[in-house]
Amino acid sequence: MTMESAVADTEGATREPVLSLKGVSKGFGAVRALTDINLDIYPGEVVAIVGDNGAGKSTLVKILAGVHPQDSGTIMFDGQVVSIPTPTASRALGIATVFQDLALCDNLDVVSNLFLGREIRNGLSLDEEEMEQRAWSLLRQLSAKIPSVRIAVASLSGGQRQTVAIARSLIGEPSVVILDEPTAALGVAQTAEVLNLVERLRERGLGVLLISHNMADVQAVADRVVVLRLGRNNGDFHVADVSYEEIISAITGATDNVVTRRASAHAGSASAAAAAADASGTGTVESGITEDFRTHETPAPGTEENPQS
Amino acid sequence: MEDQRRTPGSQTSLREANRARIVDAIKKHGGLTQVELAGATGLSPATVSNIVKELSSSGLLHTAPSTRSGRRAQHVTLAHALGLFVGVHFSTRHMRIALADAAHTVVAEHHMPLAKDHRADNELDKTTLLLADMLDSVDASMQDLLAVGIAVPAPMDAETGTTARSGIMRGWDGVAVADVMERRLKRPVYVDNAANLAALAEFRLGAARGKRNSVTLDIGDGIGAGLILNGEIFRGHNGVAGEFGHTTILEDGPLCRCGNRGCLEAIAGGPALLDGLRDQLGSLKLNDIVLRAMAGDPVSMRAIADAGRHIGVAAANLCNLLDPERIVVGGELSRAGELLLGPLRHAVERSIIVGRDLMPDIVQGQLGARAAALGAAIFAIDRVNIVPDDRSV
Repeated sequence: MTMESAVADTEGATREPVLSLKGVSKGFGAVRALTDINLDIYPGEVVAIVGDNGAGKSTLVKILAGVHPQDSGTIMFDGQVVSIPTPTASRALGIATVFQDLALCDNLDVVSNLFLGREIRNGLSLDEEEMEQRAWSLLRQLSAKIPSVRIAVASLSGGQRQTVAIARSLIGEPSVVILDEPTAALGVAQTAEVLNLVERLRERGLGVLLISHNMADVQAVADRVVVLRLGRNNGDFHVADVSYEEIISAITGATDNVVTRRASAHAGSASAAAAAADASGTGTVESGITEDFRTHETPAPGTEENPQS
Repeated sequence: MEDQRRTPGSQTSLREANRARIVDAIKKHGGLTQVELAGATGLSPATVSNIVKELSSSGLLHTAPSTRSGRRAQHVTLAHALGLFVGVHFSTRHMRIALADAAHTVVAEHHMPLAKDHRADNELDKTTLLLADMLDSVDASMQDLLAVGIAVPAPMDAETGTTARSGIMRGWDGVAVADVMERRLKRPVYVDNAANLAALAEFRLGAARGKRNSVTLDIGDGIGAGLILNGEIFRGHNGVAGEFGHTTILEDGPLCRCGNRGCLEAIAGGPALLDGLRDQLGSLKLNDIVLRAMAGDPVSMRAIADAGRHIGVAAANLCNLLDPERIVVGGELSRAGELLLGPLRHAVERSIIVGRDLMPDIVQGQLGARAAALGAAIFAIDRVNIVPDDRSV
């Protein structure tokens, strides 16, 4: 078994990604938060983004949510190049983002929260009945364990609030849902609820982007794991053929990344090992690993360099 | 019969429907206050109050005073006077935990997806926490818990209490599950192979009821069989009988995770199916294939039919050997129904020695994904002697 699963496999042959990022970079002043990020999300797929603190996960989410536009690179949505200058634009495209703080109004009940800003009107007044019915049907589709839709969100548990926040994101019929740390600060039972919910979103054919630190949760629900390290792609794995340790080694930088592989492809096979070690700035200890890597995956650098093929 | 027929629209039938609604809502949430019940069922608080009063006096429900948002409230749960039992089912990618009373009524249920190659210590910790949470939701304490049954998707060595072969569940190798869990919960814990327990559940509550010689096939990521012979689970000398997935059906076939070649599981098991489809459909889960096949996707239908045919060949051997009265097909893949069962039945018909009229009938399981968790609970209930005086309220 190779250390890293083949990323550019045949997946693209029959299906089109719903959301695709190519060479996206973002800087804040002198800080390069993201450099040359590539990411594809297919419909009905859960992609987890993992990485250490400062790896650029939140910046990536914010670019997709329209909080900060990217400096360079393209974002394709349903095959069209799009720009996402504002959160409204992101939502209008069909990207729903559930932020870590959920952004729910504690004093309002579940129905009001779900339809906040998108209330259904009946002439001049609100159509409370219709909204309540739609809220129930949505929560039921998600098999949500919410006892009543007319209680204030303040009295719900952490998992139930997460459920409400996710349900709210579905009101606009999105095709991609981004969940930022949905299981952080939740108990086991609530985590179970949220993970089931992610599976349900997947069954509905939505693309799900899951940001998480918890490797057990990631491995439980994700189809693919994308590792970011210091603002760069450092691995794209199919969960089915990757071990926990391999993901961790990509997060910590113990294994090779796109840059070293690209360098080794350019340098040719003779001087590849040296160039790889050079480009990644790794010491002599890692160069052995890099060498090992290169021999395992001669086709990988080529496909990685031109992911469209 | 005539007067037992429900009269739609009458007061009685409405009341009956409302009762069912309330019981269903409590089953789903574990426990609710009366106000929440009114919200969840859409019934008026007065109706809820009346029905709860009626059902608790008949012993079906149990109420206890509590508070919600600072107000006094009645917390309503299903009654569990005799004590509770829990059945836990670990499969390769899922965990399901069912809390049941002595009458096999499930009072609370949870399930969650698990990581590939999950590890015993993590998952048993999670189970303990989930269990505490569930007991809390039905207004019970650890004292009400009488026994725990655990279903593990691997053959168990009866002597050591660990998995009988290392490598089948990598994260669980060498863990004496029952001992470890007993130390966490301070309750008796009984562990058995998930296929055996699924068979037990189908035998007691499901599709194999009353069939004293039956086989339940568990077809999912792995393939196993639970054998009910003469009304008892047959475990064999070492407790590892029923490893149906590791019967060889192709001498030089693909390598199996057990180390042999051409095992049924290496050809028709979940990972083998998914690998075969990956080139065409990308990375999927078993459930996706079932859903696609049911929606009419020819590639998925073909994959399931092929699996059914291979399983049928092995099942025919099993029938020739054991002569069961009925074969129940359960597990994740069985949700595909006749897409799987048709080719399976056909393959059995072809290779079985007896005539058509003596052939066992091959049916889909009735308990679905819950079978093994229920079986684990039943297994725990069977092992414990309930002395009524001991626990009278």
